[in-house]
Amino acid sequence: MGAAVPQGLTTRRSARRTRLRPFLWLLPALVLFGVFRLYPLLFGLFLSLHKWDGMAPMVFIGLANFWEAMVEGPLFWQALAHNAIYAVGTVVGKNVLALALAVVLNAEFRGRAFFRTTLFMPVVMSLVVVGILWSWIYNYQFGLLNNLLQMVGLGAWRGAWLGSTTLSLYALIVVDVWKFFGYHMVIYLAGLQAIPPVLYEAAVIDGATAWRQFRHVTLPMLRAIVVVNVTISLMGAFNVFDLVYVMTRGGPNNATNVVVLEAYQQAFEFYKLGYGAAISVLLMLIVIALSVAQIRLMRGERAEEYN
Amino acid sequence: MRGARFGLRQVVVGTCRYGLLLGCAIIIGYPVLWMVLQSFKSAAEMYANIWGMPQVILLENYARAVEMGMVRYILNSTVVAAGTVLCILVGASLAAYAFSKFAFVGNRALFFMFIFTLVVPMQAMIIPLYAVLVSLRLTNTYLALILPYAAAGLPVSIFLLRTFFDTIPRELEEAARIDGCSDFGAFWRVVLPISGPGLAAVAILQFVNAWNELVLALVAIRNPALRTIPLGLQIFVADQVEWGPVFASLSMATLPVIVVYVLMQRHFIRGLTAGAIKG
Repeated sequence: MGAAVPQGLTTRRSARRTRLRPFLWLLPALVLFGVFRLYPLLFGLFLSLHKWDGMAPMVFIGLANFWEAMVEGPLFWQALAHNAIYAVGTVVGKNVLALALAVVLNAEFRGRAFFRTTLFMPVVMSLVVVGILWSWIYNYQFGLLNNLLQMVGLGAWRGAWLGSTTLSLYALIVVDVWKFFGYHMVIYLAGLQAIPPVLYEAAVIDGATAWRQFRHVTLPMLRAIVVVNVTISLMGAFNVFDLVYVMTRGGPNNATNVVVLEAYQQAFEFYKLGYGAAISVLLMLIVIALSVAQIRLMRGERAEEYN
Repeated sequence: MRGARFGLRQVVVGTCRYGLLLGCAIIIGYPVLWMVLQSFKSAAEMYANIWGMPQVILLENYARAVEMGMVRYILNSTVVAAGTVLCILVGASLAAYAFSKFAFVGNRALFFMFIFTLVVPMQAMIIPLYAVLVSLRLTNTYLALILPYAAAGLPVSIFLLRTFFDTIPRELEEAARIDGCSDFGAFWRVVLPISGPGLAAVAILQFVNAWNELVLALVAIRNPALRTIPLGLQIFVADQVEWGPVFASLSMATLPVIVVYVLMQRHFIRGLTAGAIKG
């Protein structure tokens, strides 16, 4: 964190002006943020305690929406379980691939810039574009994947990837990893470049092999970066929507239904906005708990490093 | 060490490195290239010649994509993304400057309030946000997208710019003030002109985010004339239209972003990763 210590510019001015002036500078940001970010956040909590179809007046129903989500119907828990599987798959997939490629790219060789540029490219593409593109890659008859399998003699493995209740969630995980691992790779790369070369020189003198250097120098030095990357990918997995919406709409037979999609459909397809808001609040609490746990972890480890 | 000895080890390491990277580059790059190749093929060829180059470069698919409204969607997305960037540059640079340079009660608290909401993405508050837009009578306007996108992009932009302003030496502004500039004058005439890289990183990142956003557009825009690119594309596919024009549309939606990315990679990556690394 950069130092938040305010600079001494203020010493020459009268204290009163100094107290009020900064808020004038903050005004545009505060208004925008207050109306379109903070207020909806609080209004969501309010809405979650009401029954509302978007038209008729809201009716206060206490915690009934939460009861419905957590006790009555299985859909919320089912969706959350899908998010959990999605989280394991994407967090592991993205971070392992990203770290491996960052280590490979963290050297000087011809073509390095080209590879970095290419691997990062899907990050800038729209999830809708990526989703439509991969729907086609997964197409049973004309898709690249099945045709590739056929070509290499694995025709028996061809599958209706998105049409299968067992495979579709994993098919989505692959696309998510494909799109985003380059983002994490670039963060790891920045982390690797911040490791003082002296440490490796010392390790070489001590006779450490490449693997031991990675295990005992690289990984410990990257610990904070790993936590950041895991946190970001974890939050992404629990808030996933676009890919699922575009590729499967939660199907087949709810096999890829996730929490944000469930909230969206309840609110905008079944006009249960209060219920949808309650699901969103539950998800928000889960995500906040997960991020706080991660940040705790990072803080603790940083403190250890300094000791 | 380099070039000193070319043992077997170096050859093996080099081969493995290029093998791995080339494999990954193909898995990433080929589908994107394929998307563009498919967009030039006739309907029949798309199914018959899946892998190869198009036999003739057909522009029909692009003509159909234009007919289906792609130009309109691109225009809408451009207006929305440009409006978002403008709001963010104004709001975030003023706020970041205040956070960076002024001592005031609540500096840290307000700053952390902005940062904290980064854990709650747009998807998680789409329902109350929709209710707010309805009560402000903003649905089916550009502002229904611009203002929430700007609000969502503010925290990370403020964070990035504050870090940037922190590195500007105080003496520069002192000098400006001795020359008779006000606080704002110093900010406007001295600080902003040397903040190009920071502002560019913010602008590019937020432009692309707005260009690609789907969830809010789904609920806030019902008027077909105001559809953004992701909304329009998603409707093409839901309507099960011909696929040639869909590939053409995907290419039209993606090409501008990739060109901007390749040309301004440095700013782009800085914008996308600075928050993560410094945070």
